Amino acid sequence: MHHSSAPLSRRVWLGAVALLLALAGCTPMSAPAPAGTPANTAATTPAVSAAAFPVEVTSGAADSTTKVTIDKLPEAIVSLSPTATETLFAIGAGPQVKAVDDQSDYPAEAPRTDLSGFKPNVEAILAQSPDLVVTASKDADLVASLAKASVPTLVVPSAKTFEEAYGQIERIGAATGHTSEAATLISSMKQRIDAAVAKAPNLSGVTYFHELDPALYTVTGNTFIGAVYSLYGLTSIADATAAAGDDYPQLSEEYVVSANPDLILLADSQCCSVTPELVAQRPGWAGIRAVEQKQVIVLDEDIASRWGPRVADFVENLGEVVSTLELAKA
Amino acid sequence: MTTSRTVESTDHPGVTVPTAIRAWSRWRWVRPSRWVLASIVLAGALLLGALVGPAGLTARSVLLELVGALPGVHVDSGLTAQQQAILWQIRLPRVVLGALVGASLAVSGAAYQGVFRNPLADPYLLGVSAGAGLGATLAIVQGGAGLPFVVPLLAFGGGLLAVAATYALGNTVGGGRTSAVIVLAGVAVAAFFSAVQNFVQQRFDDSLLAVYSWMLGRLSTNGWTDVVMVLPPVALSWALLLLHRRTLDVLAVGDVEAASLGVDVARVRLTLVLIATLGTTSVVAVSGLIGFVGIIVPHAVRIVFGASHRLLLPLSMTFGAAFLVLADVVARSAVAPAELPIGVVTALVGAPFFLVVLRRNKVAA
Amino acid sequence: MTPASTTNPTSADVLSCRGVGVHRGDNAVVSDLTMTVRTGEWVALVGPNGAGKTSLLHAVAGLLPATGELRVDGHHPMALGRRALARVVALMPQRPVVPPGMSARHLIALGRTPYLGRFATESAADRDAVDHEIARLGLAGFADRPADQLSGGELQRCILARALCQQPRLLLLDEPTSALDIGHQQTVLDLVDELRAERGLTVLAAMHDLTLAAQYADRMVLLDQGRVVHDGPPADVLSAARLGATYGARVEVLDRPAGPAVVPIRATQPPHPRAAHRPDQLGGTR
Repeated sequence: MHHSSAPLSRRVWLGAVALLLALAGCTPMSAPAPAGTPANTAATTPAVSAAAFPVEVTSGAADSTTKVTIDKLPEAIVSLSPTATETLFAIGAGPQVKAVDDQSDYPAEAPRTDLSGFKPNVEAILAQSPDLVVTASKDADLVASLAKASVPTLVVPSAKTFEEAYGQIERIGAATGHTSEAATLISSMKQRIDAAVAKAPNLSGVTYFHELDPALYTVTGNTFIGAVYSLYGLTSIADATAAAGDDYPQLSEEYVVSANPDLILLADSQCCSVTPELVAQRPGWAGIRAVEQKQVIVLDEDIASRWGPRVADFVENLGEVVSTLELAKA
Repeated sequence: MTTSRTVESTDHPGVTVPTAIRAWSRWRWVRPSRWVLASIVLAGALLLGALVGPAGLTARSVLLELVGALPGVHVDSGLTAQQQAILWQIRLPRVVLGALVGASLAVSGAAYQGVFRNPLADPYLLGVSAGAGLGATLAIVQGGAGLPFVVPLLAFGGGLLAVAATYALGNTVGGGRTSAVIVLAGVAVAAFFSAVQNFVQQRFDDSLLAVYSWMLGRLSTNGWTDVVMVLPPVALSWALLLLHRRTLDVLAVGDVEAASLGVDVARVRLTLVLIATLGTTSVVAVSGLIGFVGIIVPHAVRIVFGASHRLLLPLSMTFGAAFLVLADVVARSAVAPAELPIGVVTALVGAPFFLVVLRRNKVAA
Repeated sequence: MTPASTTNPTSADVLSCRGVGVHRGDNAVVSDLTMTVRTGEWVALVGPNGAGKTSLLHAVAGLLPATGELRVDGHHPMALGRRALARVVALMPQRPVVPPGMSARHLIALGRTPYLGRFATESAADRDAVDHEIARLGLAGFADRPADQLSGGELQRCILARALCQQPRLLLLDEPTSALDIGHQQTVLDLVDELRAERGLTVLAAMHDLTLAAQYADRMVLLDQGRVVHDGPPADVLSAARLGATYGARVEVLDRPAGPAVVPIRATQPPHPRAAHRPDQLGGTR
């Protein structure tokens, strides 16, 4: 309850910023798995190397100096990150996973519970008797609390680059005894991504607007999503804001229209019912090149917001979209 | 600001009165020209709103385009079709919407403060904002954020429901006679609706972003549709509030004296609350929660132009409109091409401005 | 006037109460009260704190519901409707609420409310009426000042002017002068008395100061715990024994040409200060 708007606004504003930063990893998923994903096949490969334990793994961001020690092969893993869940199953650690959070909806056989990755409840997590917790949350209290119960926590926060994403797969592999499968997965991802990019036309100079929500929040090239677009030479119309340090800016509507993007990608179709038809009906949007050329594309929000194995799917799908474009850039 | 005071047992010493009168006279020079001043400020704000924006339209071409729109005038502004669309379908509706929202929040705030004789009375205090917030949150988590009308209508319904709950609670507990009881009931209702809203919000993590961006306040992106949708209820509430301008002055002397002057206080209070709530929820529905306008604008007008509602209501409307249009100019140009939420701007600009005005008039308080 | 005569109301009565009760919440603050006020009379309501004076005034002004038979100008206050009642009865509160920033003239003009349509503002005729009262009460000098910057005496004259703008037949004064010094008390009460004579006003005034009340009132009604203890001319009501019984006060009532004067008496006579501290001068004065 708020008598004046000042504390409300500040709280909400900070909340929104924090949320935006966390957003990339935490949207739900409902789309079917695209062909070629290794998620379902890897689980059948029993290649657990218990001999490597105890093992020490970097926890936190890529430049973190924090190490977490895992004494023995984990057999009751709790994953609180949808991306980590996808990775665990893709490298064959699925049988070791005991519970995943409420947003981890892929693959289908993941043991989904009502645990929350956003607002982790330590007691609820401990009730699963985990021997390893994997989370994207940087909540230091969570790690400390779990440590008191002698449960190691591997923190794999949202990645900003492909290297970070690959590094996290390696770390999850090392922590679960699937080092070689992780390496295989990474090289397979790299191959698929390289192949997709090689097939695509050179699109440097083509601009895009990636719509995170109807209030016109978007991404710059400095984000992980932006890095995917950069593979094809695409440029975010929000890059003008990158200097201000805001990589998930909310754009002015008139700026979006005047920037005249060649491509509009909707990552708010599942959450907010936005469709290409509704975009075309927005006042003043009919003249945007992307709308005129019918290049308003609906994305699978989950694939487009997680930095796990299915990034390769995102890259391939995007490659298909851009290669059918008649983007005759002079 | 002071609330109404009662006369104490001693007369003012001779020294106090001239000091107080001098402070009161500080703003006297602006009073005769208040309508001219208000018109100039509003016109200037509207013009600035039309001229400034991240799309990079030149002032000259915008002015030519506006002049060219006058009937019988034909000039070539040099704007492309795309730029014309930006001006006419995005920027101008936003400026007009900002004026409607600002005017409505300010005049409703003035009415709430008059009805409850409480300088802090505003939509927050009566639970209106919390109710509208719950309605909007429900709409957004059900996937309505991208659809026209869904969020506004549910926000409006939520606001009305909250004020009805406040009134029912106030009547049950306190017989509806004193404004203090109503305000307390409003606080309780606001707490309850906020709690439900938070609960719903937490249950639907993936809609957090949309909910937050509505709650932070934003002049909407639906172009003239929103203006057309907001105008009828807002104009109705303005007209009805202005008709009650003298009644609000009578209410200022308190429930007992107002009743002895022939006013049915309970009925008039209910009527005015409903009217002000209609105006508030109608705009909150499209603009989100924009705070501070309903408090600072009426207070500044009171300090400069006096407390009579005959001036307070229309001047609050005018300056509220100008204030919000200017706040929106800041919101879309301070970090262009990104935007600041306008609710953040009104709080950032409004709070210090309010303190300055209060401080300059400390002598009179 | 004897108490017995009040039970026979006539058409000349502006106010008549027979068996009237007033409740605040579950408490009966006035019970079985019977009294009348005739046109042109000045009746003082006196009695200790909590005797029910203000509650009775509020019931007459239609601000509190009353049981029993209460007639104001021949009508029950609640049945008459607020606006119609406000044209007959005006209330002058003890501590008027002064909205910050409202000018004295504006405050006075609020008295025209019962004559205006719901959404109307003052017509030229209304403004003339306001100007007339301002001139009559000698308020022209500060009518355009903010009312919250007036002195207590000036403010009460403004509130009186506001009440007169209602053009009432019955003026209710709720301890109108208890916040004023003795000079301003007399100024205001003299004004009320002049206006009563000029306009045929009837005055029902709750008053604390028994001596002042006795000087201005034709009749006094002494209330205690919501009931009438005595109703009659001031000289009858004000007896040391009666005041001792109702107020628990030790007083002496002096019979003066201007009316009875009530003088409080200390329980124990203190030693004379000079006698105690300066015995040397004591002898000199003798």
